[in-house]
Order: sequence, then C-alpha cells, then structure tokens
Amino acid sequence: MSTRDLVLSALFAAIIVALGILPPITLGFIPVPITAQSLGVMMAGVVLGARRGTIAVLIVLVLVAIGLPVLSGGRGGLAAFAAPTTGFLIGWVFAAFVTGYLSERLVKSEQSALMQTVGFFFAAIIGGIVVLYAFGIAYLAVAAQLGLSKAFLGSMAFIPGDVIKAFVAALVGRAVMVGYPLLPVRS
Amino acid sequence: MDIRFESAGVSYGARVALAPVTLQLTEKRVGIIGLNGSGKTTFARLINGLTKPSVGRVVVNGRDTADTKAVLTDVGFIFQSPQNQIILPVVRDDIAFGLKSRGYKPAEITAKVEAILQRFSAAHLAERRAHELSGGELQLAALCSVLATGPDILILDEPTNQLDLKNRGLVQRLVESLPESAIVISHDLELVADYERVLVFHEGNLFADAPATEAIRRYREIASR
Amino acid sequence: MKSLFVEGNSAMHRLSARAKLVALAAVGVLLFLSANLLLLALAVLATAAIYFSIGLPTRSALARLKPIFLTILIVALFSLTFKPWHVAVVALLRLTALMLFAAAVTATTTIAQFIDEITLLARPLERLGLLRADDVGLAVGLVVRFVPEILDRYHAIREAHAARGLKVRPTTVLVPLIILTLRDADNIAAAIDARGVRRHVNVRTR
Repeated sequence: MSTRDLVLSALFAAIIVALGILPPITLGFIPVPITAQSLGVMMAGVVLGARRGTIAVLIVLVLVAIGLPVLSGGRGGLAAFAAPTTGFLIGWVFAAFVTGYLSERLVKSEQSALMQTVGFFFAAIIGGIVVLYAFGIAYLAVAAQLGLSKAFLGSMAFIPGDVIKAFVAALVGRAVMVGYPLLPVRS
Repeated sequence: MDIRFESAGVSYGARVALAPVTLQLTEKRVGIIGLNGSGKTTFARLINGLTKPSVGRVVVNGRDTADTKAVLTDVGFIFQSPQNQIILPVVRDDIAFGLKSRGYKPAEITAKVEAILQRFSAAHLAERRAHELSGGELQLAALCSVLATGPDILILDEPTNQLDLKNRGLVQRLVESLPESAIVISHDLELVADYERVLVFHEGNLFADAPATEAIRRYREIASR
Repeated sequence: MKSLFVEGNSAMHRLSARAKLVALAAVGVLLFLSANLLLLALAVLATAAIYFSIGLPTRSALARLKPIFLTILIVALFSLTFKPWHVAVVALLRLTALMLFAAAVTATTTIAQFIDEITLLARPLERLGLLRADDVGLAVGLVVRFVPEILDRYHAIREAHAARGLKVRPTTVLVPLIILTLRDADNIAAAIDARGVRRHVNVRTR
C-alpha cells in the first residue's frame, strides 16, 4: 500500500475519531442533531473509495481494541466489543467497503451534480444501512439472543436517522469530489 | 558530498517539470532559488530519490538514486510545513521511529535519541506533544528526527517559509552551524546570501549557477520581468 | 487522548498481553457454550472480582462500563418482553461477564503492548503481500498525532462561520474539514517516505 494511501486512511480515521468527540451538528430542516460517527463511516466510503475507506474504519477499530476511548461517548477498549451492538461496529468495516465500492462504480465525473449525488446516496444507503444493519441485526439475533425478527424490529427505529445521514454523506461526497477528487475511477 | 546530475530531467507526459541538467555538487552549502513552479523542488527531490528522473540519472555519493533505499541513508529532507513532518504524537517517539525502522536495537535507539537532542539543545522538546509546539520548535524537532539516522547530506525545502521572524533566525543559525552538507531551497534570499554556490531555476530550466551574490542578482532580473 | 490503561501491579498486570488475549478468547467461547444460569452467574462474579482487583478506583471502574452495560441491559429488557425470562437473563449474564473480563484486559495492558501483539499477528500477512506489519503502529501514531489538529481545524471553521454570520451546517463544516485535512496527506506521506521509514517500499515516483 502506498504511503499516500496509508496516510489518507489514517487521516480519515482521525476524522472519524474527531467526529466522536465533537458535539452533534444540527441539520437546518430537522431539529434533531446528527450524531456524527456513523456518518463518518459512510463518508469514508464516498470520499476515499472501497479500499482506503475500509482501512480507515479498520484503523478506528484497532484504536478501540487497544484501549483508546474513541467511540462517541468516550467508549473504548475491548469491552466495547462485548456490547450486543457489536455487530454494528464490525459492520462498519463492510459498510465502508460497500459504500466505497458502489461509489467508485456508480459515480462518474461526467455526470450532472444531481446524478452524482444520487449515486453517492444510493451507495451510502446500501452500504451504510442495508449492509450495516445486516451485520448488526445478525449479531443481535445470535449473541444477544433476540432472534431475527425482534432484532430487526428493534433496529428499525434508527433507520430514519441513518437515511438522513446517508443524504448528508451524499452531499459531502459530491462536494469533496468537486473540491479534491480522491475517488479511484473504476470502469 | 558528491552529487552528480547526468542529463537528468523530469517530465510528466508532455509537461517538462525540469529540463535535463548536468552538473556536480560538492560544496558544503548550496542554495537553490527560483519562482514557484520553476523546477527547483523537482530538482531537489531528484537528489533523495523521491522523484525519479524521466531521462538521465542522478548519482549521490557514488550511488544511483534508482536505489532509493541506499540513497535515503545518505540524504535527509526537511520540508516546508513544520507540522506535517512530525508524524507521531510525542517528539521523542517521532525521533525514535526513524531509528526503529532502520533496525536499531532499543538501547542504541535511546542513545542516539539522547545524542541528537543534546546536539540541538532540544531536550526540553523530547516529551512534548507535537500539537502544542510552535513552528520553530517543530522544525527543530524535525531536524532531530531527520538527522538522528545520520545522513551526511541535508536538503531543506524552504525551511523558514512558514515561520515568524524569531523562529526564522533560529532556523537560519541552526542551518549555518550544521556540519553536514546542506542544500537549501529558499524564497528567503537572506538565508542563502553568503553561500558559495547558488542555483537559479526558471520555467523548468537551470537559469544560473554562480556564487550567491551573482546568482541572486540574476534571479532579481527574472523576478522583476 | 487518555488511554484506558491503568498503572498497577495486579496479577492481570503481570500477565503477558498474549496470555490475556488468549484467555479472553477462551472465556468468550466458554461463555457462549454455556446456557447454565448458575455457571454464568458465577462467571459474572469471578470476572467482576478480577475487574475490581486491578486497582481502578470504584467510581471510574463503574463509569467505564456504564455505557456498555446500559446497552446490554436495555437489550435484555427488550428481549424479556417476548422471550422466556431465562433466555434474557442468560444473554445478560453472558455479555456482562465478557464485558468485565474484556475491560480488565484493557485496563491492564498498555497501548504499546497491544500494538506489539497486533504487529506480530500481522507479520504472516506481510508475506501474502496484504499489508506491512509495522504500518499498524504507524497508523495508530498518525491518528493520535493528528486528531488534535483536526479538532482545531473544526473550531477554526466554526469561527469563520460565526464571523460571516453563517449557521453551522454539516455540509458547510464537514466539506472544508475533510478537504483541508486530506490535502495534508501528500506532504505527510512525502515526509514519511523521505525518512525511509517504510523500507522495501517502491517510493512513488511523483
């Protein structure tokens, strides 16, 4: 892996950590604050693409594992992986990968701004929600013994918030692509 | 030091960043000046092998820069931006890191770190966090990190560019006192004003190659056109 | 960023990082193999005894576990509403015991020890060409190094917003934050390459 890629991934990991420390930001039209760390995971995919986005998230998980309180709320250490929501944590890795992969495939520089934003939004939804929740729900069902249907039901409440995050990630992804394109072009 | 450029040039596709240059550098102090985009940084990066020549070759102390690993042992590089060179949170760890990757044993590492801190009277920076340091302190720490592995040639790319007046003076004095050979790229003409040799680059070409006074005079000519 | 390691001289402190990690894995497997309420309750007592013996003042020891335990509790309560009670309790005890032992390992192992273990584990992967084992330590260092700079940058961006009378919105803050931070990557990478710290690297020719 080139040094540049390593540094890009590490810097984005640092951004994800920073988002866990900073207070949530409010969107204009909804008076609910966006807790930013899972947004950071989606953004890793849309900004850096599949490979580097995944590595950025892996670095964050390593930081948690070695005992740094980098998860929002100051959580960290191996105990964080004992929670029933650990599936969502592990799912972050696959979420970033899928979001990045779809972004690379779907979004092209020749497209209109709207098309690009839609492409990123789709990537963020599939990666940041469908794939992420698959892992989160599966773990809840098995390790926390909730069973699939109840795990699914319990997680649904969080989806609207994550759809908003996917939207924000899409806007950010598009704007960053215009200002400092980093997404690898994949045919 | 003995740096030889043998018709070495760099192009990126159709764009010529540096037209082929042939010269030999052996002086203790060499200055490099030129407008932005003149090719001076490209020239400097050929010396430590970070940039490879598209044509010709560069030989440093008898070694072709194609063998990056060997060249990096001899050549250290100090960059413009103070904060982007210290890559670990605590200064001491950053200095040690370069030594660790070269395979030195822990006892040797500790000794070398102490030695370099003593040399630059920088012991007070050792336990500090990079985030809290001023530009000048960061450049000092960077000097320690880069020179800890013992290169005998040091390239400094606009080392005082982002520093205030006081820190500029500090770094200038530091560079003057270096026993290593130093190649200094600088917009700050005062820094290179008494160097025995200064290269002037312009639009990708080596425009002048003379002692400081003469070179600076010719540089002012182009800069005022 | 303060790590979760706590100085001390307990038995856990004196064990090697590897031993603790293997023990944690073993404990995890055993916990999930058992559905016996009594055994699991004993496991909770045992792991709690270990956790509270490592030297952390009780208040901070509890504070660390609070957010995680809360999640375990809420999920257990949720499952109580539709599952037989002992299923919910089994899950509660299992995860609590795991949490306690994991927290004990974290509190008695330094960051450097963890990184050494991970680096060792990653060496075989090096041969597969997947990664460079030493990059793990470098990546961790880079993050800890630059998080404060990113936080400063965020505050600077907020100030700039305030100065222009703009409301802080995700896109107007996150976009410059990301771009300004990632732009530094080239310079940082050049500095790393110039120091030759990632040996055997085919250094970028640009």
